[in-house]
Amino acid sequence: MSNMILFKSASVASTRSKELEVCDVLVKEGRVESVAVNLEKKDGAKVIHAEGKVLLPGLFDLHVHFREPGQTSKENIFTGSEAAINGGVTGVVAMPNTAPAIDSGGLVRSVMDIAKRNARIPVYTTGCITKERKGIEMTPIAGMKSAGAVMLTDDGSPVSNPQLLRRAMEYAREFDLPLASHCETMELSGQGAMNEGRVSYQMGIPGIPAISEEICIARDIQIAEYTGAHLHIQHVTTARGMEIIRRAKNDGVHVTCEVAPHHLIFNEEHIIDYDTHFKMNPPLRTREDNERLVAGLIEGVFDVIATDHAPHTDFEKRQQDFASAPFGITGLETALPSLFHYFIKPGIFGWDLLVERYASQPRSILKFDEVAVAEGSVADLVLFDPAGATTFSREFMRSKASNTPFLDQTLDGSVDMVLSHGDILLERDAD
Amino acid sequence: MSEPRKDLLQIADLTSEEVEHLLSAAQPFKELFRRSVKKVPTLQGKTVLSLFYEPSTRTSSSFEVAAKRLSADVTNLAVATSSVVKGESVLDTVDTLQAMRADYIIIRHKQAGIPNLVARHTGAAVINAGDGFHAHPTQALLDASTLYDVFGSANFSGKKVLIVGDILHSRVARSTSCILTKLGAEVGVLGPGTLVPEHRPEGMRKFSEFDEAFSWKPDVIYLLRVQFERQGEQFFPSAGEYHSVYGLTEGRLDRVRDEGIWVMHPGPVNRGVELADSVMGYERCLINRQVENGIAARMAVLYWLKPQLEPLNE
Repeated sequence: MSNMILFKSASVASTRSKELEVCDVLVKEGRVESVAVNLEKKDGAKVIHAEGKVLLPGLFDLHVHFREPGQTSKENIFTGSEAAINGGVTGVVAMPNTAPAIDSGGLVRSVMDIAKRNARIPVYTTGCITKERKGIEMTPIAGMKSAGAVMLTDDGSPVSNPQLLRRAMEYAREFDLPLASHCETMELSGQGAMNEGRVSYQMGIPGIPAISEEICIARDIQIAEYTGAHLHIQHVTTARGMEIIRRAKNDGVHVTCEVAPHHLIFNEEHIIDYDTHFKMNPPLRTREDNERLVAGLIEGVFDVIATDHAPHTDFEKRQQDFASAPFGITGLETALPSLFHYFIKPGIFGWDLLVERYASQPRSILKFDEVAVAEGSVADLVLFDPAGATTFSREFMRSKASNTPFLDQTLDGSVDMVLSHGDILLERDAD
Repeated sequence: MSEPRKDLLQIADLTSEEVEHLLSAAQPFKELFRRSVKKVPTLQGKTVLSLFYEPSTRTSSSFEVAAKRLSADVTNLAVATSSVVKGESVLDTVDTLQAMRADYIIIRHKQAGIPNLVARHTGAAVINAGDGFHAHPTQALLDASTLYDVFGSANFSGKKVLIVGDILHSRVARSTSCILTKLGAEVGVLGPGTLVPEHRPEGMRKFSEFDEAFSWKPDVIYLLRVQFERQGEQFFPSAGEYHSVYGLTEGRLDRVRDEGIWVMHPGPVNRGVELADSVMGYERCLINRQVENGIAARMAVLYWLKPQLEPLNE
């Protein structure tokens, strides 16, 4: 009785080829049963006419903030995961900078419990590297791992003390847990609220220099090389930082890294009239950085695309001035349409790259089973209409927050249908 | 001449035509001050509220005198010292002011962009009286108005102004260099390497030392006020070293006098740091003229802006 779904003539996206392959895809009992040209209609199967639409594996976001526990006026695990579904994301990793911070096995377990109860997709959690993210004492790493933590990070802050970071890497290495670094040198960032440069000078806003991030990237890589731990660099924003990572990879250091869509699309020049929807940390850099990061993504320096989905309340973002407003923008609902609109549609990169970096690699970094539009895979699928359009109105968004530069903007493409383990979680009316 | 604006937030928003209009509009007010009755009825019945989140005596009293000479009713909310500072957001305060039907809101705040935020949320005309490192447009207007007097016209082409000091943290440097450039002047800057930004507006020249700057033949030297410490961070070793390298010393004053260079400063001055005592008595020192012109420039701004308050329904 488990629901069978037959996609007729879908354009299947995979890591195998830049070209989409037109196939029929049958989903049965939560898995992809078969992928072939001209599959026979099965009795009881729901038929989806998918001509002209792209069928891709459910996306996986390695970097989101769901704010539960303690900051649920911004977001919670339910609303965050619904936002993910709305954007075609069928698995996420939540950051531990909640209140309290996720820094013990008990807290990891409680987040996992809430996620199982309230989320329709798998929501994983990270654990802190240091207690309360204060950078002073190591957390019970083994306890958090056995409770289900998939990664360690103090995201939002760096571990400023290199000796402590080294110890944490040596310790975590034995438990096979990657350490994710938010790279920033706090003394250089100071009170900064945006990239340090021409625009910050004109706006009179203290700047965060690129070297704040780059120095920390270089330092963390050296510690990773020394300890042999798996280091994952979060949200890289500068071309120089990216080049440091490229060199380390060539030298065989176990380092992976991510880039956020907004750092590919926007730069400091987009900050008009102190619009806080362009304030995040690390900040938007320069137009040249945009171009070079996109090139690096195509060349494979970036293993994954991750949004850093960072919801905040309307009061925090819209009723406060630029310097006082918190860092961060939402991203789960806008990521796929924005990457399609700015890069895939104009031919800058293909669907294969998107599937590789936003579905395949993030799961592979965590050693999860591959999800693909291929026989035997778990049926986490997204049907995307490239001829459609999405307007990111408040009504459209499922996140509690709407702090995105795309608010009330329209982008090409539309997430029409989302499946997780063969269940239809989203089916948008086609009209 | 385009339509009057609702707000004055930053000089960069204004066209050169609008700047010139404001400068000419300030001239008759300067005349007015020589009369025994210095008041005109232009803003009779209008309410001007000033919100100074940073302490200020000069700018706030200059605005107060300007508004009173236009016959407006003026109230200063002492927000810098009241409980308003903690907890209540600026926009909450602005809602209160809306309820008081203020026609003009004059605001100073330590965060850049606050006047822009307030302006979006009120129909009152908002005048930026200094926001963080960002802008101080009425200072720029009074500076330009002062130079208008000495140059005899609003066309500053061919004139060179050297701004000396903390360029990085100065809203005065930003706004004044912007207005000078709009009027055709060239701007050069001189200051400690820690206080001169690498990313400067186009065309702004940087000098490393006074002699190099003198050989550029500036018409005006504009000294900025020095802050010795910012949140515990040190930008130069000592006030003494600052004075000897970047100050207008007795020795440099001789050269300034020989070359007939005008001297300006937004006040209040640190004697013995930005300038030697004797500079205050130098015949081409414009510091007091700046203060005087501040009132006229602010009157011109109040006179020009048009609040967009919606009439109350019965």
